[in-house]
Amino acid sequence: MIGLEILARWAHLALSVLLVGTAVSILLAGRSDRPTVLAWEARMLDACRALVVFAFVTGIAVLMLQTALLEGRHAAALEPVALRRVLLETRGGSVWLVRHGLLLLLGAFLAVPLDVRRRVDWRAARGETALLGAAALGVGAAAGHAAALPGALTAIAVDAVHALAAGAWVGGLLPLTLLLRRAASEDGADARPLAVLTARRFSRLALLCVVTLGASGTLASLTQVGSVAGLVGTTYGRLLLGKLALLAPILALAALNRRRHLPALGGEAARVGRPAMRRLAWFVGGEALLALTVLGFAAAMGFTPPAAHAEPDWPFGFRLSLEGLTDAPGRAARALAGSQVLVLGAVAVLTALVVRRWWLPLLGGALVLLAAGGVIALPPLAIDAYPTTYVRSSVPYQAASIVAGAARYGEHCARCHGATGAGDGPDGLRLPRPPADLRAPHTAQHTAGDLFWWITTGIPRAGMPAFGATLGVEERWDAINYVRARSAAQAARDMGPRVEPGRAWLVAPDFAYAVGPTPARTLREYRGRRIVLLTLYTLPGSRPRLAQLADLYGAVAALGVEVIAVPTDAASDALRRLGAAPRILFPVVTEGAADVVAAYRMLAAAAHVELLIDRQGYIRAISRGDGRADAEPNALLAEVQELNAERVLAPAPEEHVH
Amino acid sequence: MRAWKAAALLNLALVLGVGWGYLFWGLRTARLEQELAGARTTAVAGVERVWQISGVVRAVVPEINVLVITHEDIPGYMPAMTMGFRASSPKIHEAVAVGDAVRFTLQGVPPNVTITAIEKTR
Repeated sequence: MIGLEILARWAHLALSVLLVGTAVSILLAGRSDRPTVLAWEARMLDACRALVVFAFVTGIAVLMLQTALLEGRHAAALEPVALRRVLLETRGGSVWLVRHGLLLLLGAFLAVPLDVRRRVDWRAARGETALLGAAALGVGAAAGHAAALPGALTAIAVDAVHALAAGAWVGGLLPLTLLLRRAASEDGADARPLAVLTARRFSRLALLCVVTLGASGTLASLTQVGSVAGLVGTTYGRLLLGKLALLAPILALAALNRRRHLPALGGEAARVGRPAMRRLAWFVGGEALLALTVLGFAAAMGFTPPAAHAEPDWPFGFRLSLEGLTDAPGRAARALAGSQVLVLGAVAVLTALVVRRWWLPLLGGALVLLAAGGVIALPPLAIDAYPTTYVRSSVPYQAASIVAGAARYGEHCARCHGATGAGDGPDGLRLPRPPADLRAPHTAQHTAGDLFWWITTGIPRAGMPAFGATLGVEERWDAINYVRARSAAQAARDMGPRVEPGRAWLVAPDFAYAVGPTPARTLREYRGRRIVLLTLYTLPGSRPRLAQLADLYGAVAALGVEVIAVPTDAASDALRRLGAAPRILFPVVTEGAADVVAAYRMLAAAAHVELLIDRQGYIRAISRGDGRADAEPNALLAEVQELNAERVLAPAPEEHVH
Repeated sequence: MRAWKAAALLNLALVLGVGWGYLFWGLRTARLEQELAGARTTAVAGVERVWQISGVVRAVVPEINVLVITHEDIPGYMPAMTMGFRASSPKIHEAVAVGDAVRFTLQGVPPNVTITAIEKTR
């Protein structure tokens, strides 16, 4: 079914592209009264009529298959009610209506016999054909992946330009082939000057189109693919790679045609010009066939979820990263030397492209240099990678997940990795390789997907068992969130009560809380709006400091701070226990406190802890105490002012660990 | 008919069609969306209204007959927040203490609303 839909979409796209290309190449050739050219033009107009009809028919097929897919039943493809619903209630349906309305209009316009003997009439008639065809093709972008992006209008425009450039270039190749073949034949001599002229014009237009295609394609894939993992690890990315791989021989053919065959057309007719024209026709035809295959990839991509929204399946056993170079001066030196050779090779390539003499040996030398540089520089950069290396966590970095992960860790991991993650568990001593110290900085350098792979499949040579069968997917991610929080806690030991300007690195785990019967809120809701002073308090010791905060609340609120107080005993009657005096008006957490306390006490275990969380969601200062009032009440205001004065440093952390 | 005239007429019809479509659908959709957004944010002014709202008492200020309550969303008036409300009679603030989860009746013409009844929920 899906194969059928891709086939139908391919046929529809190819027909629409050919329609635009044919109309454009008629315009490129211009009006002529030579019999051979007139015959060609008449054939092309017939082709346009046929293309409109077939595009319309395949469009209906696409609509029916899409309806069946959306409804989840094959039979829906033939039900008028279901078709009507898709047409009138989906975005794709509205775009379909507009596009096929334009095709109908174009069909009607082409069916009416028009008198085009005068130049202005000819231009209007042929221009209108190209205009309507291009509109029908370009509007399709409004139903593609681009339409789902934020700021869709620009993305749609980029996609539409991409489609139109493809239409003018790919679609124009076949009509050009036919013109060249006619002109190269024995009795087509009258068309030869025009064919040469058209080929030259087309060559210029094609160059422009290829540049446009490259630019718009790059722009679109930056958002739709976004990463190397997305390119090599997802269906969408691999289709794009396939498209690019097919594009290489097409561009090589195009370059050959432009450099070799096109200049030869000007030669003496019988021996040089005509054979050259016939050869060019063959090559352009080949180019056209390859290009139509590329459209198949494009049709399949339009039907595949973009790489940015799919989980990448990393196909290699390694990845390239600078992380392997820290603490390894020998490897770093080798990588550096290799990179110099690579730069030299790149310079040589550029030189070979610019200079006229000796360019072939230069290019050869450059390629040798590039290969050597790669061989020297890349091995030290390669570090182990696994199929799930770039998979994103399905469980956000949240206090509740960390707490659940701590329980899983206690059950399954602590035996070997030790209760604190130091790798000193009792069962770890018997293993062939000592368990990793999960608190060490290198833990943070592995991607969360690496940890997921190890937990799922185990590390046989080190004696680590596989937990893929015992722990569910979410439980594994919980454990990873816990390990990440552990490692962060280890790094946060030195964070003090003063904000360190310009350093935002400690991500505050998100949490949900509620005050009394009011609806739950999350820490994340404060992102970009308020600084949060998260206060973990213990009664009665914290009473003086809470009184001080209550007193300061007006001032800190005016500076853009919300105070969230969390009782370390997680009592649900926390408000009543705080009592009526002094008046504490900031949120005091009565629901969800247990998770917050458990997760944040990993960072600081004192009786009274205050964490200052900036607007990006990073913990910037931690003060640990016993709840006595600060001798310098304005110290907090000074730290807040520090945060208010700084420019935004790091982008807000993502919802998931990496 | 001359071909250029046919093409020009066709284009004119297209432009008119798109323009008519925009005027008919686009403008109407835009206006409806604007109205919807307006109806969501602005309170109905000048009309007496009554709400039943849950919350938790955060402070009692008997001198001015005010209860400070962390409350849930008040539809059409204000989002969830901590806010002081006047009580219609001293009996009301005498009935509750700080930390009590309450359900209260808020009545009046915004912004002049008072608590007319209150009961503890736990």
